[in-house]
Amino acid sequence: MSEAISIKGLIKSYDEHIVLKELDLSIPKGSIFGLIGPNGAGKSTLIGVLTGLLSFDDGYIHINEKHFIDENEAEIKRDVASVLQPPLLFEQFTSIEFVEYVCDIYEIEKQGLLEKAYSLMDFFEIKDFAKTKIHKLSSGSRKKLAFVTAVLTEPKILLLDEPFEAVDVISIDRMKTVLRRLKEKGVTMIITSHILEVVENLCDDIAILHQGGIIAYLDSVSRKNLQENSSLHEIFSEYVKVEGKDDVVDWL
Amino acid sequence: MFGRLLALNWKIFVSNLNKFQLLLLIGYIMFLGIMTVNLVGTAVVVLLLDSEPWMKMQLPWLTPEIYSFLLLVFANTYWLMHFSFTNLRLLNIAENRKLLGFGFPLKKLSKYLMIIGFCHPVNIIYNFTWIVFLMIQVSNFYQVLVGIAAIVFNYVLIYSIKHRFIKIIERRFIAVVAGFLFLIFGLFQAVSLFAENSQQIFYHIIPRVDTLNNFLSWSPGGLLTQTVTEEYGWLNAAIIFGFLCLLIGLIVVDHFHKTCEGLNNPTIKKEEQQTSKLWSFLRKVMGKNAGKYYYYVMIHPYNKLQLLTLAIVPVVYVPLLLQVKYEAAQTILIPTILAGIPVALLAMGMANMYGYENRELLMHLQFPVKLEKQLKERFLGVIILPLMVFYLITIFELLVIPQIVGVFKIFVANTFFFLCFMVLFIWSSYYQYQKATYTSFSYKHPIIPQKVTFVISFAIFTMGYFIFVPIPGLEWYRITIMSVVIVVIAVYLWRHVGFLVNLFKKQILTRLWTE
Repeated sequence: MSEAISIKGLIKSYDEHIVLKELDLSIPKGSIFGLIGPNGAGKSTLIGVLTGLLSFDDGYIHINEKHFIDENEAEIKRDVASVLQPPLLFEQFTSIEFVEYVCDIYEIEKQGLLEKAYSLMDFFEIKDFAKTKIHKLSSGSRKKLAFVTAVLTEPKILLLDEPFEAVDVISIDRMKTVLRRLKEKGVTMIITSHILEVVENLCDDIAILHQGGIIAYLDSVSRKNLQENSSLHEIFSEYVKVEGKDDVVDWL
Repeated sequence: MFGRLLALNWKIFVSNLNKFQLLLLIGYIMFLGIMTVNLVGTAVVVLLLDSEPWMKMQLPWLTPEIYSFLLLVFANTYWLMHFSFTNLRLLNIAENRKLLGFGFPLKKLSKYLMIIGFCHPVNIIYNFTWIVFLMIQVSNFYQVLVGIAAIVFNYVLIYSIKHRFIKIIERRFIAVVAGFLFLIFGLFQAVSLFAENSQQIFYHIIPRVDTLNNFLSWSPGGLLTQTVTEEYGWLNAAIIFGFLCLLIGLIVVDHFHKTCEGLNNPTIKKEEQQTSKLWSFLRKVMGKNAGKYYYYVMIHPYNKLQLLTLAIVPVVYVPLLLQVKYEAAQTILIPTILAGIPVALLAMGMANMYGYENRELLMHLQFPVKLEKQLKERFLGVIILPLMVFYLITIFELLVIPQIVGVFKIFVANTFFFLCFMVLFIWSSYYQYQKATYTSFSYKHPIIPQKVTFVISFAIFTMGYFIFVPIPGLEWYRITIMSVVIVVIAVYLWRHVGFLVNLFKKQILTRLWTE
């Protein structure tokens, strides 16, 4: 299987603080890739770099076999959509204006777009807010709207930074349904999340990011072997555990 | 607990200020001191006007009726000022309501915030002046009690009305602002008329001064004065006092509930808005990027107010200045005011170009359109409207004030003025970025940083005098220098638009990511 995203020796720092330390990562085409890690591990920064919102200090990124440099930027971005945490939305637009605007920028066929948009909004129960200004929406509805819009732009790569945060259980199930459909269509997805059960259930390959580097890569085969004995939660705790911290709260 | 809350609010207030704003705060405190002295001083002077024998000699027309008339005019004008300047914007409700999450009881918080709100320094100064003004006139002890109750009642009533007025402003913003501006400028015109014909007007007023006094004594300032000038006895005083206390209690309780409500529902509830026609129009006319940006600029309430002011100020001032016989008013002041209009429009759009959208700009960066193209479109979009106004003004000046300068000269002067400010705004947009929110309306949260506003105001008039004041014999040197600077700025900007992208990535992007 060829790679949708290939990262080699990626370094990213904020001032003196190095967040990503010579990161190497390959994500197969058409897979759902789970990226988990404790707070501050660098997950959102990695997503930020892949979306082109953050510059990086060193290393190489190839997306769909195209080198991620300024010359290819627009071409690469056409194939990538994302849902960030917190989601990026145009607050003064209504939900439907936002969807239309973004799809227009991505040059999505206008015919049938509104029907698709409304049906997807209906699926996520935000159709009633189609003509409501975005700044009035709840955080869950905002997340769902960002997700709907990202899907409507017909991406080849979908980057999801904590997509299930603030979303109700029913909508999480529906998101999973949509993600599985997209996978069948060949879309590659990266998902970061702290809800390990969903990641375990949904993703093909999973990597644990800790202190700016990948400390464990679990492909479908290794996961099968490991999971006979333990859950993803236990594996994660085992890798990320910091010795001696339990003593600190003894006084409780 | 009250002391801690007060300290917290002070910290919130100060932490939102940068060093420059802190410096301004010192100036503001000094201003408050001067204002107190001025207000109290004026009140005392008006009161003691007739008690000085020397004044009676100097002002023989100052009969007891005219004196009462002056007192009532002062009291009512002062009441209008009190109403206009009563300040409601001391507290940051959004920050304070977080305390509810830490177990601070709602009713207690509401009560304390209400007390802090009532004690705004400006409001205290106005009430203090009322006390001085009324207490000097007191002749019986019961008048002291009723006078103070009336002052408190007056204050809570103004406070309460203004709270509701703010909601009306939000709903009927343009109508209210237009009405207010009309009132201000109408007053301005009336005062100028009065100043020119004062003798004639006084001649008409003096025979009717008793009727006027009768009318004025029933207006708000007059009623307050009556509480200490009329003799109404202890029984009536007790009834009035009791009734005023009851009303004060009711208004305070109502305000307390409103504060509770505000703490529970902090967002401004506006009517459901459907798809905007303005957005569709701007998108068609200016394109996706510039159109979206301009839409954000135009719907901000502060900019609506700016636009109205920009439309009304020249309509009032230019005809007035055209009537003035002094030629410098026409050749310097009118061109400066008019050249300031496109500059002010440019400031609206360009002085904080990224402050309206803030984090949303990250979404633009993800779009499959080069950032350079997006920024260029915005940049050109921002210039179009002021540029159109600029040409209209140039044509107007050539037609209406032919004595000002020749066609070429005025064109060069206005272009120079415009371009210099464009450079200033580019600097401001990148180096003075700040988030503009819906509430960016006040001293604490302006759209354009105060530093930039001061620089703009100062520069408009300084440059106006440098550019438009005629220098006999040296005019051509000045025109040549301005032309050269215009060419240099234009060529530089044209050839280096790419630098805006780098500057954006360097100055703005990281701040947006971490915002």
